[in-house]
Amino acid sequence: MRFIARFAQELQDHFEIIDVFDSKIEKTPIDKDNPEIESIAQAYPAAVWFERKMHDDFGIKILNTFDNRPLIHHERFPNIHPMRKEFTHKHIDPVPFKPYHYEVIEGDGIFQVGVGPIHAGIIEPGHFHFSQEGESILHLEVRHFYKYRGIEKIVERKDPKDAWHIVERISGNESIAYQLAYLDLLRQASKQGENENIQKYGSILLELERIAHHLVDLGFIPNDAGFGAALAYSSMLAEDTRRVLKTLTNHRFGFGAIRGVARKFDQNALHSFLNDLEKKMDFFEKWIIEIPSLWDRLDTTGKLSQKKALKYSTLGVVARASGIHIDRREVPFYKEHGFSIQTQESGDVAARFKVRLQEVKNSIQIIRNLLDFQEDEVVLNAFEDGEYFAFTESSLGEVMLYLKIKDQKIDRFFARDPSFINWQALHLMMPKNIIADFPLINKSCDLSYAGSDL
Amino acid sequence: MIDFWVQRFRKGIQTQNSWADEELETIKKSLKSEIGKKFSGSLAIRMVDSGSCNACEAECNALSNPYYDLERLGIRFVASPRHADILLVSGVVTFNMLPHLLDAYEQLPSPKWVITLGDCTQGTLFKDSFAIKGPVKEHLPVAYHIPGCPPTPDEIVRGFLGFLRSL
Repeated sequence: MRFIARFAQELQDHFEIIDVFDSKIEKTPIDKDNPEIESIAQAYPAAVWFERKMHDDFGIKILNTFDNRPLIHHERFPNIHPMRKEFTHKHIDPVPFKPYHYEVIEGDGIFQVGVGPIHAGIIEPGHFHFSQEGESILHLEVRHFYKYRGIEKIVERKDPKDAWHIVERISGNESIAYQLAYLDLLRQASKQGENENIQKYGSILLELERIAHHLVDLGFIPNDAGFGAALAYSSMLAEDTRRVLKTLTNHRFGFGAIRGVARKFDQNALHSFLNDLEKKMDFFEKWIIEIPSLWDRLDTTGKLSQKKALKYSTLGVVARASGIHIDRREVPFYKEHGFSIQTQESGDVAARFKVRLQEVKNSIQIIRNLLDFQEDEVVLNAFEDGEYFAFTESSLGEVMLYLKIKDQKIDRFFARDPSFINWQALHLMMPKNIIADFPLINKSCDLSYAGSDL
Repeated sequence: MIDFWVQRFRKGIQTQNSWADEELETIKKSLKSEIGKKFSGSLAIRMVDSGSCNACEAECNALSNPYYDLERLGIRFVASPRHADILLVSGVVTFNMLPHLLDAYEQLPSPKWVITLGDCTQGTLFKDSFAIKGPVKEHLPVAYHIPGCPPTPDEIVRGFLGFLRSL
């Protein structure tokens, strides 16, 4: 059974803990005056962050856990529980500094290296704390939530349609995926069935987003191994893709593109772009496969075994590169249009690189097969009160959204980015690697900070 | 590898970019001459994301792709604020990032300038959130703002030129 998410919500007279697994959803009511719940992190290690977040959000005590440090509450964060309904402040002030205790390995000759929150490149903020024995990494703790924007709280009590512009900005690289998942929620809430034209239109944009995002990584991974020419080449292709996305949606990242309307666009231009991209990808693949010194860096670096990848419920490229067959696109609609799941067995940086390469080529095929759609619109009627779940495969992995509507307004919104799970598995790839390989490993997973921090 | 050399032989050397946009090329020329005049040919930028969705960072990364190739003009994104002339800030300024943003600014040697990038830095988006402390201008002296959500690489290049001309 695969663990997907664990989160809480406040009801009239009690809190409710919702555990989402791939085969079932469990709800546990707990007392509001003395809120506490047993940890499930022994069986599902990825539940730890969810539980620590639940504690910060609601003040729920987690019993029998091996980690009860704060997650979102940083050193100067006041002791508040913002997801409770009674919390309505628009402003908070810092409190005296409380140190955060990193999980470290100590001993003779072992030293600590802290990196971040501001990193050396043009990249999002987060902190990495290494325990080092010379060059070798013994342990890594990932610490985030520097970008915590309180998104789950600010959409509360909004009309569901007014939250579009916030949902699409949870993570810029996955904007289309988030919009599609949100459209799915609203479609369910207004009791509309699937519409094939809308589905095709959305999937074309989703695959374009995936291509653009993977192409950037296909350049940055060799670049971090000292082969900059690959970055120059693939970043050019990524730029081409962003420009195509702009001609289709009027925005380079597709902000505002998915609102339940399928628009016709210039098919010839898209066709010639795809043909050109396909040729260039073939060239890129042949070129890069034949550089042995590059593969010396990528092979066996940052290995994640299939057993550990399963244990930590990993998602997306990280999981597929470790031989786990998991992809939300594995449904009849996608399969009929040429989708085939891309996996590798070795679980190292090389495997993640190859999965991305194959996925770009597969996405080109999928888009070609989706092009015969008509202009259409899904009418979003009044939203019925209830609870809705939606899943979409972004370029990073499975995005999960939860929406509870009460009196036509958003009562609880919960978003789980694939990165929120994968970040917790990053430390498993570190042992037997040197600190200089960390950027390479990190880039090969290419996780989102914004999506995870929310 | 052999395919690469076959293509190279067939097409010869192509120094002229076939996709080059003439207007952008003119702007890049002015940018280079302004950097030459005002920063002795080398402008170092330290970018700090203080709560963006990562689209602004993606566009800044795009500035070094072969279409824009800003390094050629003397603009470098540097690894440390201590090597920088300019602090380029993106994002909404979250509660958790504010102390680190101020710290980065302190580390810049004088004279220094702050440029804000993207609409988030104005503090309007997510303004109802308790977890944000925007806009940037409440915390740092902002010399120039580049609007957009996110600004396209084109708009960022124009923004840099606008900033240099405002000096």
